[in-house]
Amino acid sequence: MTCPRCNHDDIKTIAKSPEGDAWEMYACQKCWYSWRSTETPQILDKFMLDDAKIAAMQIIPPVPPLKK
Amino acid sequence: MGRLAGTCGIQINVRRFTMVHHDLRSFLKVLEDEGQLVRIKEEVNPEPDIAAAGRAAANMKNGPAVYFEKVKSYKNPVVTNVHGSWANHALMMGMDKTASTKEQFHELNRRWDLYPVEPKVLSRAEAKCKENEITENINLFDILSLYRINDQDGGCFLSKASIITGDPEYPDDFDKINVGTYRVQVKDKDRVGIQALAFHDIAVQLEKAEAEGKGLPICITLGNDPLTTFMASTPIAYNQSEYKFVGALNNGVPAEIVKSDLYEHLYVPAHCEVVLEGEIISRRRTVEGPFGEFPGSYSGCRLQCEIQIKKVTHRTNPIFENLYLGIPWTEIDFLMALNTSVPQYKMLKEAMPEVQAVNAMYTHGIGTIVSTRCRYGGYAKGVAFRLLSTPHGMPYTKVVIIVDEFVDPFNLEQVMWAITTRVKPSKDVVVIPNCPGMPLDPSSNPAGMHDKLIIDATTPVSPEPNPREIQLLTPPVGHEKWEELIRSLMK
Repeated sequence: MTCPRCNHDDIKTIAKSPEGDAWEMYACQKCWYSWRSTETPQILDKFMLDDAKIAAMQIIPPVPPLKK
Repeated sequence: MGRLAGTCGIQINVRRFTMVHHDLRSFLKVLEDEGQLVRIKEEVNPEPDIAAAGRAAANMKNGPAVYFEKVKSYKNPVVTNVHGSWANHALMMGMDKTASTKEQFHELNRRWDLYPVEPKVLSRAEAKCKENEITENINLFDILSLYRINDQDGGCFLSKASIITGDPEYPDDFDKINVGTYRVQVKDKDRVGIQALAFHDIAVQLEKAEAEGKGLPICITLGNDPLTTFMASTPIAYNQSEYKFVGALNNGVPAEIVKSDLYEHLYVPAHCEVVLEGEIISRRRTVEGPFGEFPGSYSGCRLQCEIQIKKVTHRTNPIFENLYLGIPWTEIDFLMALNTSVPQYKMLKEAMPEVQAVNAMYTHGIGTIVSTRCRYGGYAKGVAFRLLSTPHGMPYTKVVIIVDEFVDPFNLEQVMWAITTRVKPSKDVVVIPNCPGMPLDPSSNPAGMHDKLIIDATTPVSPEPNPREIQLLTPPVGHEKWEELIRSLMK
């Protein structure tokens, strides 16, 4: 299984349906996109991710310098 | 019940009661009794049903809360649109469900001045949020019926959590405890992301912790009494306590809180449905988002904080309360409406007693209408400058409309009347460039910078010349009495 958003191949099953075997929840271990097995993710081009985009992302809030 | 005797001998009943809701469940009961809650008994799919119903309820005038008894393959119920109409907002305040926006504004403004009302700290045994506890193998999906809200969201989000943190430098200062609402993305069964924008109080506290290489203890609470949720979305000063305001808004009845289990200095609402206790992981930022946000569009992905959940306490059969947000107005707009307007009103009124009312309800105050008496020529522009320099006004307020004291700023027909008859654009419309702006406003570019727009829709007063002076039409004598009578006959 690969991430529908960034194509990474490390996907974790983070949960199964509490009742019955109705669905599983998957999460990409790189970009943290998560989806249910019953969904067909249709991610718009503008929201697709790659390493370059992740590296360029804004950091919120900024990480302060460590006090000595 | 009060009775008002009309001069024509007809007695008109004025229904007045103040009901206090100590938890979500008692509020849901009131909503249901008043016809403001619908129950869905059939099983629904987590996507897209819950969000679709939230959108639908928001589209309706006086839309109800929607309670889902069964979500496919989950254990627990969900409720949405709890705050999503003026009727529900009035009932939250313990007012009649027909109370107008302006009436609710003035009542909220009156109760605001009861601050501070010391909360009541309950024992652990008295607090319903402690009915059940989970200390290992935490799985949020077992407790909460999580779902994706908008289809391009990056995962399941908590959109209505009241989040409690303290100041690491002053852990014993109760007033520095912050109760705020921030979006939370579920990334794993016991790990979530959180958006802590730099200008919010939680970021001030986080910076202190991270500068020491430490995490920030945090309690994420869900399914609160409606006024706690309301206060979590309210901009107040850093040293003011949201819990002491809850008591004020409950007309002097103290909020009930209880100490968190893991953190001595943190207090949570005693009867909320679920408490997630944990820590913002120090100096860690990971991909978060996108998420459909209150301006009606998705915010993109950013590198934001993560929280490790270490303990959960919850009521039995916990109700997952969450809100739908989309193109305004949706439920979230009611949680930013009068609680943005009243603090802004108070700030303006301090220096300018001529101000009558402030409507800062549009997109969290990005559009604001102020009604004022103009003491001298140009006064309206001064009111606008004051509004644009308040702590909230500076980043948020972009479009400012000033109207005369006899125009109701909550009545958009009257506001449009004022704009169409009292604005000469060459002198009354001003654009001020290169001011602070709200990054979530998509027209702000670069994000965080903006222009301010002032529309002075007031009647000229001396020394400004008024060469086209007119005589306004005044309502005939007795019209208020007739309004009450006609209303009572229509019931």
